[in-house]
Amino acid sequence: MKIFILILQLAWFIALAPFLSGFITKIKNNIRMRKGPSIFQPYYNLAKLFAKSEVISETASWIFRVSPLVVFSSYLTASLMIPVFILLKPFSFIGDFLALIFIFALGRFFLALSALDTGSSFSGMGSSREMFISSLVEPTICLIVFSISLQFGSTDITVFSGMHTVSIAAIITALSLFLITIAETSRVPVDNQETHLELTMVHEAMVLEYSGRSLAFLEMAAYIKQMILFFLIAQIIFPVYLPGPINLVQIFLWCLWYLARITIVAVIVAFVEVAVAKMRLFRVADFLGFAFILGIIAVVCAVMGV
Amino acid sequence: MQGLILSGILISTYLMFIAKRMSALTRVFALQSFFLFLATYIAAKELGQLDLYIVAGLLLVLKVLLIPMLLGKIINKIKVSQDLGLFINAQISLFCALFFTFLAWVFSARLNIPGSHTEVGVFAIAFLVVLTGLFLMISRATALAQIIGLLAMENGLFLFAATVSGGMPFFVEIAIFFDIFVSVIIMGLFVYKINNLFTHIDVNKLTRLKG
Repeated sequence: MKIFILILQLAWFIALAPFLSGFITKIKNNIRMRKGPSIFQPYYNLAKLFAKSEVISETASWIFRVSPLVVFSSYLTASLMIPVFILLKPFSFIGDFLALIFIFALGRFFLALSALDTGSSFSGMGSSREMFISSLVEPTICLIVFSISLQFGSTDITVFSGMHTVSIAAIITALSLFLITIAETSRVPVDNQETHLELTMVHEAMVLEYSGRSLAFLEMAAYIKQMILFFLIAQIIFPVYLPGPINLVQIFLWCLWYLARITIVAVIVAFVEVAVAKMRLFRVADFLGFAFILGIIAVVCAVMGV
Repeated sequence: MQGLILSGILISTYLMFIAKRMSALTRVFALQSFFLFLATYIAAKELGQLDLYIVAGLLLVLKVLLIPMLLGKIINKIKVSQDLGLFINAQISLFCALFFTFLAWVFSARLNIPGSHTEVGVFAIAFLVVLTGLFLMISRATALAQIIGLLAMENGLFLFAATVSGGMPFFVEIAIFFDIFVSVIIMGLFVYKINNLFTHIDVNKLTRLKG
């Protein structure tokens, strides 16, 4: 039964993550009075990419070939670490909440490394920018983890799913995590997913050299990462107590509730992305500095117990 | 509710550290004062004292509305650039803010204040606000930032008094408000005159006297 649930969770993440991205694009286009691509466009893209053959640069080493798989599997592992349907921690032997951050970091590291591998100047620039942003993001994520751990007295990730009330510390934590999510999922004030414009190239620049199946894996990894972060926000703002016993009907209900919560977060993200203008790269430090402040306030509030 | 107000004060205090423009700093000050007003109003409602209602009203009128408006007017009138003149840039100021938070926390934890974590927290935040005022006065070059620094220190002292003894005596409070208001007017005029004479309000350059 446990195995079944795990496979379900894995399938859930893989099946639903592209949908979330398509959904956000759709909302953004509707706000701008455009029709936009179909919600299922990310699936079509992935199917197309999987069918295509791959072009690999002659100067590329094995890192270039391996890293899409490493990135993909690291985010997939991260998705298994958070309890979605039931209180189950199959990967608790790996570690706690902090381990999740470092699994994220592993994927990011390999992505940046593979971008440097071919020697293309564009992807090199992309990875340098990505490292700049992530060096500002990671301290804040650590603060967020500390805040949550202080509120619940443990760094175990399942404690986090047993949340009952929404305290002020939790709200501020969610705000901070929201700003971080915008930076991490390369959304507008920090990066822009829609264009390949030089100025906004962070994530898009890094995957510039990839094609075919590898590109599909990298895109899938980005979708899964986005879904994990959205889920964490949703779990903080709309806490749900996950029950211990396993029951198929209940799991179905959780699926619906899960979808509803994530959709709300996605709508907020879409609105923010439309409302805000792209920032200059060096203004991003201010933006993430603000997220850092919120993280500290969340920790202070958690210490005070409000 | 108390937690909301405290986190509001904390957020506005940190915003003071990263404000780069004069108008932003005045607005943040107004925000901080507004949260202080809320705290006082709630205390007044709980205790049912007329004195506290009057103090809260004065806070709202003077610090949230009148003083920021006055300062805004001065900023518009003197037509210097909006730049605050940061000696220490916003990011490093932020690290200073962290250090101050830590300092305030350690200090208030040592004091053996009776009560829960929240009481210690309120005391620490009050201390942090006082330190913020001091920091603003030291690390910003323009005269306007010094005024706001002074006002922020006063806010911190108000919070201090409220936590330690449930507020200062009524007449002292009124006198302080009067003092603050008059001093802001005088300092505002002073800034205006400095600007007329030197065409800037950078306090560092004041040592070079113009004949």
